[in-house]
Amino acid sequence: MTSTSVITLRQVRKNYGALEVLKGINLEAREGEVISLIGSSGSGKSTLLRCINLLETCHDGVIEFCGEPVRWQGSGVTRQPADKAQVIRMRTQLSMVFQQFNLWAHMTILGNVIEAPVTVLGRDRNAAVEEALALLDKVGIADKAEAYPAQLSGGQQQRAAIARALAMKPKALLFDEPTSALDPELEQEVVKVIQQLAAEGRTMVLVTHDMKLAHDVSSHVIFLNQGVVEEEGPPDAVFGSPKTDRLRQFLHATSPAVAGA
Amino acid sequence: MFEFCVEPSQLQGLTWLSCYLTTGKHMAFYTSFGTVLLLLALTAPTALLFGFCGAVASRSAIAPLRWIGRTYVAMVRGVPDIVFFLFVPIALDQGFEYIRHMALCPEVTEPIRRGNDFVVCTAAKLPLNADPQWMHETYGFLLAVLSFAIVFGAFAGNTLRGAFEAVPKAQIETAQAYGMTSRQLFWRILLPQMWIYALPGLSNLWAILTKATPLLFLLGVEDIVYWARELGSMKTSAFSYPHPNWQLWYFLGLLVFYLLLTWVSDRAFARLMARFNLGQGRTGSDTAAAGVGR
Ligand SMILES: Nc1ncnc2c1ncn2[C@@H]1O[C@H](COP(=O)(O)OP(=O)(O)OP(=O)(O)O)[C@@H](O)[C@H]1O
Ligand SMILES: [Mg+2]
Repeated sequence: MTSTSVITLRQVRKNYGALEVLKGINLEAREGEVISLIGSSGSGKSTLLRCINLLETCHDGVIEFCGEPVRWQGSGVTRQPADKAQVIRMRTQLSMVFQQFNLWAHMTILGNVIEAPVTVLGRDRNAAVEEALALLDKVGIADKAEAYPAQLSGGQQQRAAIARALAMKPKALLFDEPTSALDPELEQEVVKVIQQLAAEGRTMVLVTHDMKLAHDVSSHVIFLNQGVVEEEGPPDAVFGSPKTDRLRQFLHATSPAVAGA
Repeated sequence: MFEFCVEPSQLQGLTWLSCYLTTGKHMAFYTSFGTVLLLLALTAPTALLFGFCGAVASRSAIAPLRWIGRTYVAMVRGVPDIVFFLFVPIALDQGFEYIRHMALCPEVTEPIRRGNDFVVCTAAKLPLNADPQWMHETYGFLLAVLSFAIVFGAFAGNTLRGAFEAVPKAQIETAQAYGMTSRQLFWRILLPQMWIYALPGLSNLWAILTKATPLLFLLGVEDIVYWARELGSMKTSAFSYPHPNWQLWYFLGLLVFYLLLTWVSDRAFARLMARFNLGQGRTGSDTAAAGVGR
């Protein structure tokens, strides 16, 4: 593979007080790759994702975005990004999709989708509306443009949140358990959208409990356990022939159907 | 008022009443309803502005600003309203006169505080002794507005601060994740979402403000309570319109006035709330718990 690296993490560490949540994580997402993060609850998946777009600051290690390293000031627990403009620039190129959707409650769906492109990126409003409508159509909720988030089902809200993420034209998408808050039948409508995005060759980092989804869309799967990468590899290897006991146990506990192969 | 009213002692029944109810003093009584409404109309937005500044300052990243905001918002807790209403106008009045004294009569060397007296030079008086009566009344009224606004601004500041804090963290974090600066976040997310949490508390505050208007009387403004007492009290035959003690009827009138006012404003707030709820696609019950009192 010669494609360029979009996200690179090297030896990323993060503590919450005495609790060491991330103990030296390495991760690389190249252009067009889908990296899935799996692991049991509390293993640090969300924390890792939040460290990537700097919602949390990791206390040690390197984060590079398209080859550009995040600049830091201070060290250890007092470490902070040194350059606010850099933080904002990176965040605009990394769109996050949250487990609880987090659509802005006071705006319509259309308002949600155009908000950051217009306010943050300063794009032309009319052009943003046009693009937003196309994106809403793509995720299958064009008819909900004028509705408010609370008037939508969970699946529709999450699809709206994905449209909002795409509207930024980001270099990579970050998903934190996008289907975990959904009923099984609603889950599928979001899964389809994610599969479609993967097929389009979008760069994504996906935290998920859905092993079938991880198996289907990933180019690389990382199994996180207690803050360390316990095992990683192509999905066929990770799900087909897990090498560590921990991963075998985990796969067996979460989805016997996939692991039982 | 009417031409047939020249000789009140000759009048009877409804004619008497119509003349009685249109005397100069009654006209002043009716005008004082306007005074109360004007006070509310001026005080509410001013207090909201003060409260808003207080709430924003108390959440500021700049420490001195935060202290000022917090002190302002906290000062009204624990101190009875009435003490504030008596203290603030005197303090403001003396403060203004002190500043004018310093600026206008630098040649006067005697101290301003002499024993229990507060003496400024004649030129520094507010308003000047020579000013017409209406200026004295307006000045008194404006002092009252300012006092109300300061006191209720602190209450409002408390409510707004709570409302800012009630905006879900996830909403804010999402805005950050999409690259908003703290300024964009404030104007685009925090401020529009804050109102729905503030509204129940503000409507509460409005009711308290409405009910506090009779305190105008304490500040020397001739308000409806003053006139109701004055006009309702027994009038001997030395008056043009002698009558027994009618205070009961006058105060009954005030009661109806205040009830009407409350009823109208309750309806207005209910509509406002419904609009906000619709805008956020929430049901009333979601925000009922957000009723942050003063
Ligand atoms: N703000 C915080 N303060 C203190 N501890 C935290 C905080 N956020 C997370 N943690 C702890 O860090 C650890 C990792 O949490 P994290 O949310 O990253 O797990 P996760 O893998 O995403 O789990 P889940 O699958 O349940 O979402 C947990 O032990 C959690 O209790
Ligand atoms: Mg998580």
